[in-house]
Amino acid sequence: MRRRDFLAACGALIAQQMTHADDRGIALVSAGGLRSALDAERGKVVVLNLWATWCVPCLREIPDLVRIERELAPQVVLIGVAMDEPDERESRVAPFHAKYFPDFRSYLRSERELDAIASVVDPAWNEVLPTTYLLGRDGRVVRRIQGAKSHEEFRALIAAAL
Amino acid sequence: MPNQTTIALAVLAALALVAPAAAAPPATTPLALSTDEQLALAPDVAVGPGGEIAVLWLAKGNPESAAAKAAEADRAKHGHTHLSSMNLYVAVSKDGGASFGAPLRVNREDNEVWGFAVSRPRVAYGPGGTLHIAYPANETQPQLGKPVLTARYTRSTDGGASFEVPRRLSTVTDADLAQVIHGGFASVAAFGTMGVAPNGDVHLVWIDTRDMKSGADNASIYGVVSHDDGRTFTQDRVEAAGGVCPCCQLSLAFDADSRPWLGSRLVTPDGVRASTVARADGVDGSFGTRVSTGGAPWKIDGCPLKPTVLAVRGDTVYTAVHNGAEDPPGVLLAVSRNGGASFEAAYPAHPGAQVSDAPAIALAGGDRAVVAWHAKADGPRRIFYRTLDAAGQPLDAPSTLTSGDETAQHPALASRHDGRVQIAWQQGDLIYTAIIGPAE
Repeated sequence: MRRRDFLAACGALIAQQMTHADDRGIALVSAGGLRSALDAERGKVVVLNLWATWCVPCLREIPDLVRIERELAPQVVLIGVAMDEPDERESRVAPFHAKYFPDFRSYLRSERELDAIASVVDPAWNEVLPTTYLLGRDGRVVRRIQGAKSHEEFRALIAAAL
Repeated sequence: MPNQTTIALAVLAALALVAPAAAAPPATTPLALSTDEQLALAPDVAVGPGGEIAVLWLAKGNPESAAAKAAEADRAKHGHTHLSSMNLYVAVSKDGGASFGAPLRVNREDNEVWGFAVSRPRVAYGPGGTLHIAYPANETQPQLGKPVLTARYTRSTDGGASFEVPRRLSTVTDADLAQVIHGGFASVAAFGTMGVAPNGDVHLVWIDTRDMKSGADNASIYGVVSHDDGRTFTQDRVEAAGGVCPCCQLSLAFDADSRPWLGSRLVTPDGVRASTVARADGVDGSFGTRVSTGGAPWKIDGCPLKPTVLAVRGDTVYTAVHNGAEDPPGVLLAVSRNGGASFEAAYPAHPGAQVSDAPAIALAGGDRAVVAWHAKADGPRRIFYRTLDAAGQPLDAPSTLTSGDETAQHPALASRHDGRVQIAWQQGDLIYTAIIGPAE
């Protein structure tokens, strides 16, 4: 195995462990795990969407974000983080995700502090949902979007980041 | 008390983040009220007629504690589990906050309490010393077989040694909004608050979804009143029909005439989430016009989760609210000096902070008020506070109450009889309390 392949395999393994990935659709993610997941997408525009099962405006915009990812793949990647309680994964979040948004690549925060996971991209997050960040190809946040947006609004904002 | 830890948190000197003012008097040494057996959050605090102090908080078992591991093993053995929710604890001080008794669990049914820091349970004392508690609870609508959230109330007439069986005060209707509210709830009575007027009337208000027809609708405010120290309550009724942000916790304050004042967030037809104050001045006690407290128009199709908090003295109404339309987003302070008819220009509570949020406000001695919030200034979230004069202007710079790497957040305040203010907050997974503000 070449050194680069070996390092990539190690990185993937570490990211998998840090996100507690398994086959049940929505994995727990720590701050470090999210950082690794975002780093793995360098070179693409990342749409990072913070949502929750109880946030109605969040649920309205997710289908549009999933559609945009499909339209703009592979240049654009959508990653969600559910801000529900980590211990509600089995009882609420995983079944909800599987039922309504099975095509939405999303994690569930594993940190109790909401702020810990959001601080990976925004130390000044004000705990408003939905919040969507556009990360440029270099991994830096180029736009913070709060409140639900339409398909057209997201398309225009993402196009500007491409 | 054996499970009370006195901690040696450094009380830092005032941070001179804004120029003019002097430092506030130092806070007392914080006391930890919860233990590491719990993951505790969302405190509230009240001061009684005799100077007694009650601190209330939400908690669930710490999964890392020995007790939780034993319970988990038991669950695995017997193959059952509970819905994930909370329990409610109260600790009472009878020596002015120098020490607190052991925490007592308030709710009877395990994990029946629904809540988090921005829909926190409330505690208040009546003028005769009755301890009143209100909280949102998980229930199942029997006909629908679906979960609902209801407004619950209980009281202690023995100084917090025991509590009555909690009562539901919101009407559970046959409304089935599970497809609208999503979270799976058929209806919701939550994000409420409770207060006791100087005449002893106990007021509860909450945000209620029963009248919503679609996800595009906003919620209403419903409420009840007790005129007999919590023995009985009126039938719940609409206090404000529609137009209410469904996820911004309400707040109440009272004037010397025992009239309630309501802090709420109004959703205007063009989608602005305006922070508002209304006084109950109708002949039937209904709330009048909701008046905006100002700040940049915050237009957002989202869940702000931001209360409007207030304190009232005469014609002066002090308010504090997080506004996400400000740059940077942060807590704005605004005062009305004409009985809430209009508000003077709002100004930031914490200039220089990256972000500030979760304000609380209480009257203090010498015609002053104290406002507290959490903010990120030069490290993790910490608790900050400052004193306002009779005109609502700051007398001192923001002072921080906490230090170190641990996150401190979600303060609650109550006015003490010595003119100072009792504060409670969450730090890490523990609940702390201290005394801040100006000496009389």
